[in-house]
Parts: sequence; C-alpha cells; structure tokens
Amino acid sequence: MGNIFDFLVVNPMTNIMLLIYGLFGNFVVAIVLLTILIRLLTLPLNLKQMVSSIKMSALQPQMKALQEKYKNDPQTLSAEMRKLGFNPLSGCLPTLIQFPILIGLYNAITRTMAVNPMSLLELGKHVYGFLPNLSSLVPIESRFLLWDLGQPDTLFVIPILVVVTTYFSMKFTSMPSSDPQTKQTNQMMQWMMPVMFGFFMLSAPVGLGVYWIISNLIGIGQYYLLKPRLDLAKAQHAAPAPGSAAAIAAPARKAPPPKSKVKPKSTAKIAKPSADSGKK
Amino acid sequence: MILFHKPPPGAPAGAPGAASHPHEDRIRMKKPIARIALIAAVSLAVLTACAGGEPPPSAFPGVTVDGAYAYLASNYHLYKFDLQTGAVVWKFPAAVDNANPIGPFSGVPLKYGDWIVIGGSAGMNGAYDRRVYAVSDATGVEAWRFSGGAREFVDGVISDGKIIYAPSGDGSLYALDPSQRDAAGEPRLVWKFTTGNRLWSRPLLADGVLYQASFDHKLYAIDAASGKELWRFEGATAAIGVRPALSDGVLYFGSYDSHAYAVNAADGALKWKTALGGWMWTDPAVQLGRVYVADVRGRVYALDAGSGQIAWTYDTQDTVKGQPVLDDDKLFIVSMDTNAYALDPTGSRKSPSGQVDFADARWRNDKLGRRLVSTPAIHGGDLIVPLLDSDIKMWALDKSTGDRKMQFPPPAATTEPAK
Repeated sequence: MGNIFDFLVVNPMTNIMLLIYGLFGNFVVAIVLLTILIRLLTLPLNLKQMVSSIKMSALQPQMKALQEKYKNDPQTLSAEMRKLGFNPLSGCLPTLIQFPILIGLYNAITRTMAVNPMSLLELGKHVYGFLPNLSSLVPIESRFLLWDLGQPDTLFVIPILVVVTTYFSMKFTSMPSSDPQTKQTNQMMQWMMPVMFGFFMLSAPVGLGVYWIISNLIGIGQYYLLKPRLDLAKAQHAAPAPGSAAAIAAPARKAPPPKSKVKPKSTAKIAKPSADSGKK
Repeated sequence: MILFHKPPPGAPAGAPGAASHPHEDRIRMKKPIARIALIAAVSLAVLTACAGGEPPPSAFPGVTVDGAYAYLASNYHLYKFDLQTGAVVWKFPAAVDNANPIGPFSGVPLKYGDWIVIGGSAGMNGAYDRRVYAVSDATGVEAWRFSGGAREFVDGVISDGKIIYAPSGDGSLYALDPSQRDAAGEPRLVWKFTTGNRLWSRPLLADGVLYQASFDHKLYAIDAASGKELWRFEGATAAIGVRPALSDGVLYFGSYDSHAYAVNAADGALKWKTALGGWMWTDPAVQLGRVYVADVRGRVYALDAGSGQIAWTYDTQDTVKGQPVLDDDKLFIVSMDTNAYALDPTGSRKSPSGQVDFADARWRNDKLGRRLVSTPAIHGGDLIVPLLDSDIKMWALDKSTGDRKMQFPPPAATTEPAK
C-alpha cells in the first residue's frame, strides 16, 4: 500500500519539487510553487467541501430534531435524513481525497530535504532516472535567510509564525455552526491546533514550517477568493435558529423540492419530540 | 473561554444557550469538553511518544570486529559485544542523559589503542551530534571528545595509527592527534581540509595519501601529513558518497550520477566510466580483475576492472547500501529487502542473449526479517550482519550455509522473539 502511495503520489511530487528547485535554485521557492500548484489542483474539491459544510451546518437543527424523533427507528431516521438532503459523504469525501495529496506533499518535502542518511537513501531510490540532471541537485542547498531548512529553528520565529498562521487559517476557514456544542469545539480547536503545531515545529526542520506557513497563507487567500461563492451558499442554505418559529415552519428549505417530503405536520411534531418519541 | 452558557433573556426553550434544566445543560456541555479532552490526550500522547524513547534509526549502523569482540555503532548507542556469548559487554552512553544528549551514532567504529572512536551522526528532523568520541575499550566510559566539527560524522573515522581522520557533514576532513590534547582534553587539530559540500564517507588512506569523496561531486587526493590537496577529480556530475577502492594504482568508486568510475591514483585521470542503473552508494570491492558495486535500486554489478564493462549482474529486491564483502569463494551482499546473499563472484549463469552473465546465489538467508544497510564483518566462519531497526542488533550467520548461529544480544536480553 505504501509503495502504491509512493508511486502515485510521493514520487511524482518529489521529482516535480526537484525540477522546480533545479529551475529556480531555491528550495523555498520550490515549496511555495508546488504548494500553490497542489492547492490549485485541489481547489474544486476544497470548494465542494466548504459548500457542503455550510449545507450540513444549516441542516443541523432539523437533523437534531429528526434524531430525537426517530431515535428508536434508525431506518426511518436514515430515510428522513436523506429526504432532508443529508449526505454523510458529501463533506468528507473531498477531504478524504485531498488528505493523501497533502500527506504526499509533506512526505515529498521531507524526503527532498534529506536531512539524514536514511532519508537521502529514500530520495535516491525515487529520483526519476529519465529526467536528466535531477540527481546532480542533491543534496539541496538548505540555507535560507537566517535558517538551515533541514534544522529546527533555534530562533523560534518559524514556530511562532506557524502558530499565528494556523490560528488565522482555522479562524477563517472553519465553518460557522448553529450548534453550540460544535461551536464550542471549534473555538477550542482554533486554539489547540495552532499550539500543537507550534510545539511540533520546535523540533521539526524549518523547511516543514515554511511549507506549513505557506499552506496556511494560501488557505486564507483561497478562502477570501472563494468567499463570494461561500456567501452565496450560506444565503441559499441559511437556517433559522433552532426552535424558532421559522425553523418549525421551514425545516427543509435546502432540500430539492421533489425530495423534500417533510411536511409541516411532521415538523410540528419534531418541535415536541417528547410527545412523539417511540410512537412512530 | 466559555464552558457554560447562560440562557439569553427571553430565549425560547431549545434555543442556543437556553437550558431547559440546569442539569441537562451541564450534561450537554460535558460532551464537547470530553471530546476536546480526548483530542488533547491523544495529541499529547503522540507528542510525548515522539519526544521520549529512542527514535527510529536515521543512519547506517557500522560494525568492527577485533579479536573476541565486535563493536557496533547503532542508533543512539555504541555497543561492545562478546562474540562467544553474544552478550553486551558495555554500551555507550550507559544511560540516556536528556540534559546532555549524545548521539545518534553511525558508521564503522575505529579501534585505536585502548579506545574505540566513533563520530556523532545525523538524527531525525535534522538534529545531529557534531562530536567525535573516544570511549575506553575496557569500561565503555568516554575518554575524550572532539567538538570542533560543525556537523555530523556519518561514516565514522579512520587512522594511520597516530592521526585520526574524521570526515564531517560540514564539508571538512579533520586530522586529529589524540596524543596531544588541550586543557579541555580535546585532541589537537593538526589540519583541516575543506571541500564544497558534505563528507558522508570515510577517506581511503594509501601510501600517505588520503582519497576523500565529497558531495560537491569531486574526489580529492590529499597529502595525509600536511593536508594539502594533490589533485581533484571533477568528472562526476553528482555527489560522491563512497569510500573508493584502490587496486594496482587505480581508484574505483561510484556516484549518485549512476556511474561507476575508475581514475588513476597518481593524477586523478579518468580511466573509464560506466553507466549503471541507479545511485551508487556502496563502497566498491575489488578482487581478481573485478570491481563489485551495487546501486540503490538493488542491483549488484561485477565490472571488469580494466574496461568497466559489466561482467554480470544480480538483482535483489531493494536497495543495497552495505559494501559487498569478498571472502573465500563468495561475495556477500546484504540488502534492504531483509535478505543476506552469498553469490558466486565469478558469475555462472548466462542470459538468454548470452551477453550478460548472472551470478548464482550460493545461499540466501531470508529469515533476518529486518532491513540490512551495513557492511557485514567476517569473524572466523561467521558473517556478522548488523540489522537496521531491531532489538536484535546483529546476527552471526554461517558463512558456508547462511544459517543463523547467534544473535546479539542473546534472546534473554531482548524483547523481540527470534523468528
């Protein structure tokens, strides 16, 4: 499995990174350009996932009510959820597809930096022989400004930048939720994840930190580029506050009309789950 | 940080922040806290696991056999093993001191009088130890250290019996005289020869000349007494990471440009070069007009020493990094495919086209179960094979049959069952 992943994802990225490094003679430029390239390629997936998150977030109050109503009848619950437009894969599938690509990029950067003999050996095994002169680029020039890209940052500048950019990236890109629990979890994660990454960066090579910072900045930029489309999606899928009259009156606004079979009568029941629970 | 919501005035039941019952509200809030606590605990466990314990090996173990003992540099320790019993006599450092970390170690330990000399190596995440250590052979206690290098010493050091030559990842070859030490106990730096990139292989010393390969694509001939450059070979197009072999006035070596080279030892003039299949990162072995090398794709080559023509090949399933070892009528190869091989050095099987011979394996031990990247050592009738990542540090194999004879350390001392 690892070999297939290497063959399909990590090896091409490693060689493309070396090619870019050969063209510009600067590894940071290679990281930046390859990260942009990957982000552009995964942009449609990313957009799909963000829109889907908005949609799922808007559906939360109705889904909760249905879960409460049909808690003893999973089959009906599942059918009702489908009618509502809920698709558990729609949000995570694009993420699942993107994940190996990002892991591959991370591996390609680590491998290309070849900070120790074992990683250089791995690099040597996977440099394409048919591309001329790639091997002559190894080992890459690891000096960049104040840093050695293959060493941890003793100045702590990179870990701090990782913390700051991760925080803002998470703040801007995490989807708003009407569910207080999810909201609270998101808030906690917005603090915890940057601190965790910053802690990790204390002992990781600067090159990885540079990738992380660039990736975060591109993520933030991408968010602003996609914002008009996301706002449109939000408007389309906007959900009223749970328990409000509007929620009861219009529970399935985003579901396509032919599929939406949740009648006002049933939603009225949803508002009073205790009266109906187990009676279906 | 808000952990408990107060209901906004006039909020309807079920609205965010409106608790129908204080107890219910608390239960609801426990869920995200539990989730966050779980994430934090898992994250901390992962980070702690990364920070503690011995990290996986990042460089190549090296073994030296001297008399009844074997010295092994492997990951974060230098070991002395009793070859009769397999027992660990000592290990250096005896205990891990997090305040003053030492290691990792790699390359071939050098027996120098009453000391064993080894360099610090490169670890995970780019960390490295830039010191050379001398350890008492009797006790395993540090005798002195040299801390004048700026980077790791990946392949160990060599000596002419007096001066120690230590190639560093900082691109310099250091000549040290341990008989003269400064106030801090460090050996005197006799000279330092600087190249344009990392030195990740030991030099070859012959007739007062050091032949040092560098990642700057060059091979240097250096006067061992003065440290002055005699000549340099600039014909390779990629890094050279091997210790050359010398036979009949000709130096043989390979490069990451996937070529094997032969140059005159007197002036560095190119005799021949041969294109092979992948990066060359094995020290070559020469015998009876044949040069034996291997590449990172796992192919072993026998080349004609006079012309560079390929005499035969043999394919293993993964990278060959350890130097081919010739002994009796066998060529011993270890591979990252976890197998040890004994090949017929003459090659005996013709290809269908009749153009290339293939070596026959006299035996193949496929029961070592771990990646093999280090040059094996010969001890009597045994082939001592270091393992890369295992509680079992080495196996002694019967040279004739390939059968396993002894593990180092013995089974009682390891948690890993023998397969």
